[in-house]
Amino acid sequence: MRALISVSLLLSFVLTTALWSAELKVPPQVTAGNAFSISGAGSGQGTFYLIGPAESIKRQVDLANDIQIQSEEVEHVGRYTAITCGGDQCSSGHFYVHAAAPDRLGLIVHPSRVPVSNPNAISAVVFVFDDFHNLVLVPQSVKLTVTPTAGSSISESRNTQNGVTWVRLNSAPKGGPAKIEAAIGKASEIRVVQQVASDACNLQMKSSWMSGKLVIETNPVRDCTGNFVPDGTIVSFTKTDADGKTTVDVPLKKGIAKVEMPVSGQAHITVASGVVTGNELNVSGGR
Amino acid sequence: METSYLKRPIPLRMIVLLGLAIHGPLLAMQLPISTSYDANFHIFFASHYAQHWFNPWNVKWFAGFSQTTYPPLVHQWIAVFSHLIGLNMAFMLVQLIAVLLMPIGVYRFSRLWVDERASSYAALFSVFVGAVAFLVYSAGQLPTTLSFPIYLLALPYFYDWSRSADFGSLIKGVFLILAAGSVHHVTLIFGAVPFALPVLWLAWMDRKRDSSGLAVLSRAAIFAILAAIGVGIVLMPYWISIIQHPIEQIPIPHASRSNLLMNILYLTNYFLMPYGALLLAFPFVVWIGATNRRLWPLLFGFWVTFILALGGTTPLPKLVFGRAFEILTFERFTLWASFMSLPIVGLIAERLLDRYRVKAAVGLALGAVLTLCMPMAWLSLSPFKANSDLNVDAVIGFLNRDGHDQYRYLTLGFGNSLPRISTYSIANSVDGEYNSARLLPEFTHYGTAQLTSAKYFGTQGMESLRAMLAHANHYGLKFIFIHDPYYEPLVAFAGWRHIETYDQGEITVWSKDDTPPARPIPSDAIPTAMEGLMWGTLPIGSSILAILLLLFIPDHRITRPTEEAVLYPVPVDERELVRETR
Amino acid sequence: MKRLLAIGIFIITVVLVGISWFTSGGLARQRMYSAQTPEEAVRLMVSQVQAHNWDAAYSRLANRGEVDKAAFVRDLAGSNGSLLTYANLESFDVWGLHQTNQDAIFRAKLHYSTAVGPLETFRDLKVEHDGNTWKVFWPTTRLPKLAPQVIPVNYLRWDVINRGAQDDWGVQNVDNPQVRIISMNALQRPDSVVLVGEIVNEDTIPAYVNVSATLLGPDGNEVAQEGSFDKISHTLLPKQVSPYRIDFPGMRMDKIKSVRMDAKAMLIAASADPVIEVGQQHIETDALNKKVLRGQLVNQSGQIVNIPHVIASYYDGNGKVIWVSDGYVDQELLPQIPVSFGLDVPDDVAKNVQNYHVVVNYYENNNS
Repeated sequence: MRALISVSLLLSFVLTTALWSAELKVPPQVTAGNAFSISGAGSGQGTFYLIGPAESIKRQVDLANDIQIQSEEVEHVGRYTAITCGGDQCSSGHFYVHAAAPDRLGLIVHPSRVPVSNPNAISAVVFVFDDFHNLVLVPQSVKLTVTPTAGSSISESRNTQNGVTWVRLNSAPKGGPAKIEAAIGKASEIRVVQQVASDACNLQMKSSWMSGKLVIETNPVRDCTGNFVPDGTIVSFTKTDADGKTTVDVPLKKGIAKVEMPVSGQAHITVASGVVTGNELNVSGGR
Repeated sequence: METSYLKRPIPLRMIVLLGLAIHGPLLAMQLPISTSYDANFHIFFASHYAQHWFNPWNVKWFAGFSQTTYPPLVHQWIAVFSHLIGLNMAFMLVQLIAVLLMPIGVYRFSRLWVDERASSYAALFSVFVGAVAFLVYSAGQLPTTLSFPIYLLALPYFYDWSRSADFGSLIKGVFLILAAGSVHHVTLIFGAVPFALPVLWLAWMDRKRDSSGLAVLSRAAIFAILAAIGVGIVLMPYWISIIQHPIEQIPIPHASRSNLLMNILYLTNYFLMPYGALLLAFPFVVWIGATNRRLWPLLFGFWVTFILALGGTTPLPKLVFGRAFEILTFERFTLWASFMSLPIVGLIAERLLDRYRVKAAVGLALGAVLTLCMPMAWLSLSPFKANSDLNVDAVIGFLNRDGHDQYRYLTLGFGNSLPRISTYSIANSVDGEYNSARLLPEFTHYGTAQLTSAKYFGTQGMESLRAMLAHANHYGLKFIFIHDPYYEPLVAFAGWRHIETYDQGEITVWSKDDTPPARPIPSDAIPTAMEGLMWGTLPIGSSILAILLLLFIPDHRITRPTEEAVLYPVPVDERELVRETR
Repeated sequence: MKRLLAIGIFIITVVLVGISWFTSGGLARQRMYSAQTPEEAVRLMVSQVQAHNWDAAYSRLANRGEVDKAAFVRDLAGSNGSLLTYANLESFDVWGLHQTNQDAIFRAKLHYSTAVGPLETFRDLKVEHDGNTWKVFWPTTRLPKLAPQVIPVNYLRWDVINRGAQDDWGVQNVDNPQVRIISMNALQRPDSVVLVGEIVNEDTIPAYVNVSATLLGPDGNEVAQEGSFDKISHTLLPKQVSPYRIDFPGMRMDKIKSVRMDAKAMLIAASADPVIEVGQQHIETDALNKKVLRGQLVNQSGQIVNIPHVIASYYDGNGKVIWVSDGYVDQELLPQIPVSFGLDVPDDVAKNVQNYHVVVNYYENNNS
């Protein structure tokens, strides 16, 4: 609370002073992180104020000499007000600090995981920053490179608008990680999107007998573009025979789901994965 | 003048010093915090007053409840002292004051019935009464233990006013009653009759020769009316809340209401431990009380409180209290029965010391020490544990960081450590420890107390917990802290995920990810600003006024010229009594 | 007069205590200890079980030579972290089914309070006359033992590495899984509105799901909001389907204009084990003439499942979900050992059921 009051009083004082003071000679534009000086604004000792978008500075200066502004005092982009006060008189001036050269990139890629062969499923948004995390608003050319699991990478340059550029991408027909890289100068960022198999396609199972039990297993489960459905995906087997109905939810392992079931009399067996159903089997038990 | 220490009254200040020597160190060690059921609860209430003196609406429990449902005085005094010595020590200080007021109250009460020497013995024994140790160190019922001695202090003024129309006694007595009522309503409501009626009976018996019995009764009625009006005004917000929301919840089981003879543990906990060696004196109390007509009122008072203290062991409490039987807990009646017997016990001690001198002194001392030590030992031997000394720092730390206070929380298996979490965390809980303040249907539709101890209430408790968990999104209940793995299956099946573990797995934290942030739950029980103002001024004002009156208005009774008219048991009768008791 | 008062107080006290002792069942308890009728014998044994006085309960058995005490205790108190180990016998009722001078059969209805809610079980107990007293003949239950063998484990497990606090801005977390409600049906029950349906995890990673629903009135305002609570399998592996049920007690359909469904899914670490077979499923009519879906659970993995929870969805001839019921199984699932279950099906629902789908949810106390 005390700090708030102090800051308010300081700001009121500074603004009032600025309104009723002479103009201070300051450079109209400054690049972030660059030191510069302000010409002397009088004689004798005085107080110098620098009010920026993210910080305020107050120090005693010799008004007869140039006032040195250190590089770390102008790191943030925005409008700054410089004020000098000596004796009964104050002078003020305004200047803008602009972003420095591009040095960092922010790359947001969504989603982190996408089914294969999905048009415009991936979006990549690039933000260009300078070394001080200021958004660089001057149009810049960003190189975007997509490297699929198999095949060669594709590159494209895009110009930023207001510091941002973006691209939408189709997911590849083949599953696996796709690397998306954005680069500008020496700065680059990489994100990885997992391209995963879609729903199972043409789900097939087969049966055989082993030690009096019916062993049922699926063929390797793939999606419609031939990608293996990931291990751990649940495949539901349902058997209906004289004993009633039996269901087992089995996770795929090495692309195959396998289960053993005792069979009593005639049995009807179905297989499904999620909302996809596969073939059906009719077997006779009692072997 | 009698030179033997065994034949002289013990100075009251020595008895108070003895009380300080016994209870002072135990309270300085903050024993009730770790051993008692309710100490944390009272500290929690006090912590609210320390921060919001004039706003009795407390959002930390039950998604919001009014503290006007519990008289505030003891909590307000703790809150006042807490600014100087912290909450825990403030609680201990007020508890110490209560314990030290007891021998004073007993002495003054006993002086109505027996001589100064027997009264001093009664006051001495009050320091060792097992029920006091039980209520202070096991139950943690500070309001009961503070309001009762204040009430005892008021009774002689009630006697004086009723008997001899001493106006100063009327004023002091009424203000002491207001203070006692502001500390604990139950003591006033249910303790008034068994104590006041015998005293009124005595005043009627001892009335001045030129005073009629009707005048005594009229003055008693005036006292009662003034006290009732005063309590009505001072505790107005309480009466408003109780009328607006009468306690209609399903009764919550309590062991003190059961038939103690059917369960040896309950018998030990609620009968043997609180009474201790005093039980040996009870037959003689009845005999001596019956054989001295002036002690009959006291005997009847003792017998009534003794029977009531047995809870469900006799049908009388249920007949007397009706629906209130299911709300009351009966351990406080044990304290009242013990204190009601003390004047006669003092008389017995006087006779024994006269006859057996050092042998009697040793025997009585052993009995007294045994009576005090039994409940203290029972604290560690008892299977009933308050579970109030858990290390909950990690839980408090979790709730106070990263915006976790945006959601409500629940503890399971934390017993009486819940109030400690609530006191020091900034987050709010849907649970709470005060049964009478619960208005949420998830509580009132089930016969269960705190959700944190739900399993001890069987199906009712677990159904109540299920109902609360089912409405988690409504209450913004996101975080559950579990100290008892018993609750983990339900929480897991209900959709919470285990996210953190503290204290080598002793405490686990569970979170439900789709819970929205908590929002205020509308309630018609929120006190008005005027009620808050009354609550913050009248109770503490009445206590300060009572203290000032006691300090600055001298007791007329001491200088009253007709003092000799009060007939204490004559030595001849007492000798006969002692012979008969052989 | 003076002595009379003291004696009177003493007598009244004793009488009052005696009245309560009698009305509290003190006399009946004393009689029960003699076990001179078959009912008293069963009550005595069960009350000893209730008090966890296992030695005394075991001593009331007529066939102690055949029944191992540990097995007797396990039978009543559970083992391996099963639901019975989280249960207290809260109350019981006993009534006779058949009685002669030498033996009798009594049915005991045991009401447990468990960690997940109330549980009722029935035991038919044979009672034999043994000298002056009656004793209970405890049915010998031989625990099936699994032959020594190696059970392959899938080792399929998903772990999650979340975004760290030190990561740069723009480094995104892994997206939450995609889940979809594939069916929803609103039903009017006698005392409530019930929403039933199924939800599927469409993603390639495990999901932790919660389904909630908001009922909207004719004016578009929220009327009530409830969640699926424990009537859903919260952990869904890729492509796994779970039934869900949301109850709105005291609601009526005519007060509702629409329903807003909300399925929330979170990414969690999970394991593909254990695999539980649900066998011999069939709907039958039980002894009380109620429809029950019965079946057997077989744990095909090598680890113990402590508390199984069975959830079933029932379909009509059009494949529409018309009901969802659930129940907890009081025994643990040991590897390869079948354990029976039964789920109540309301009579009005049972007549329309053409098919059903059972999923098994579970709690394991070592990794929760």
